[in-house]
Amino acid sequence: MSRDTRDGASERGSELLAAYVDGVAELSTDERRRIEARLALDPEARADAAELRALLDQLRALPPEGSAPDWAAMERSIHHAVGREVPRPWWRSWRWLAPTATLATAMLVLLVMWGRPATLGLPPGGERIVGHDLGHDRRDEPAAFAQPGDEVVPLWLDGDEVDVTLSANDLLGDPAPGDPASGDPAPGDPASGDPAPGDPASGDPAPGDPASGDQLGLLPSGDLAWVDRLDDAALARAERWLAGETANPGAPPRRKG
Amino acid sequence: MESLAIGLPVLERPSPVTASDPDRELAERFRDGDRAAFDLLVRRHQKGMWRLVRRYVKRDADAADVTQLAFVRAFRGLTAFRGTATVRSWLYRIAINCALSWLRDHRREQPTEIAEDALTDANPAPAQLSAGDDRAVLKRAIAQLPPKQKLVLELRVFDDLSFREVAELADCSENTAKVNFHYAVKRLRDILGADHEP
Repeated sequence: MSRDTRDGASERGSELLAAYVDGVAELSTDERRRIEARLALDPEARADAAELRALLDQLRALPPEGSAPDWAAMERSIHHAVGREVPRPWWRSWRWLAPTATLATAMLVLLVMWGRPATLGLPPGGERIVGHDLGHDRRDEPAAFAQPGDEVVPLWLDGDEVDVTLSANDLLGDPAPGDPASGDPAPGDPASGDPAPGDPASGDPAPGDPASGDQLGLLPSGDLAWVDRLDDAALARAERWLAGETANPGAPPRRKG
Repeated sequence: MESLAIGLPVLERPSPVTASDPDRELAERFRDGDRAAFDLLVRRHQKGMWRLVRRYVKRDADAADVTQLAFVRAFRGLTAFRGTATVRSWLYRIAINCALSWLRDHRREQPTEIAEDALTDANPAPAQLSAGDDRAVLKRAIAQLPPKQKLVLELRVFDDLSFREVAELADCSENTAKVNFHYAVKRLRDILGADHEP
């Protein structure tokens, strides 16, 4: 064989010869035509191809290395080693992250809203009302709920009456009794002539007393200045109404109790 | 076997090239949670993977361990298989990586093949070659090939992979794999010819 005399161009033309001999179907049509044209014209290339063919047959006849293991045992061993559960790729696991996170966030927001007094905004000019403390007993945290001096107003919706009992002090005590700014003496102050809340003489429960309005879950109001603007006649009417003596169609909904 | 007009026998063996990967369906079933699909893949490829690993790892038991490790890794990664390669070449890539990793970890424990080579004359005359000698000479000639050509030749001849799969495993283009294969066979022939020349 004159392999040493073969020129570079010829070598490049035949560098797919082994691939052609070993698996003609894996060559493109162009590659196949090129090799076949060369084989048709060049007897040396044909001899070369025949030698390559023989060598490949020899290689394929080589026995595999080693002694084959027990395939069934290996199969069982692999079956046990990999486990039962089909693993899921990370993106399939994370596919549930977004809805889960959304749900968790929504639940967290709900818990926060229901677990502490919510502040409800009113339209501009409207009165600011501190919302109900729902689902959470704040008896031990009076400062966080109805502070002494806070006004407690009835909450009604669309004219539906509120089934609560409310003392006059609860409604008319703005600003806080005893507050120097109010100019009123504190209840229980000898100057006031009124017994202190909680004093058996007053008939009013002390703040924090289970019988007091703040135990009824009423809403402390931020500003009840409109009460101060009532004239004496209106106040007297209100007091009579509160005492259950008269009905006042123009007043807030009638209280039961 | 196809015979050209020029009389040269050309191998028309069942093409390892597959337009549709026969293992793809099993991989998809596995991704959908079908555990049994993996068992079928194991049954289909454990022999080939073991043979491949055994060329790197010189003890049968070690080769079995490495093969099992490769399947465990394949099991964990098959759901992430992207399908850019065939499942078989993907499995074989894992097997090669496991074997190389094992070799790094057990470099000093590997038996040498001196004993086998010592039985063979360095340049035996063709007439002296028995079948066993032929095999030893061939193996030694293969061992002398450059690494890339050796890899391409072994994957093609011993593992019966398509050139596309060989290219995937050798990290080259399909055309480069074909050319490497050509030069590997030619070089092998040259080595054997030199050995057999008086």
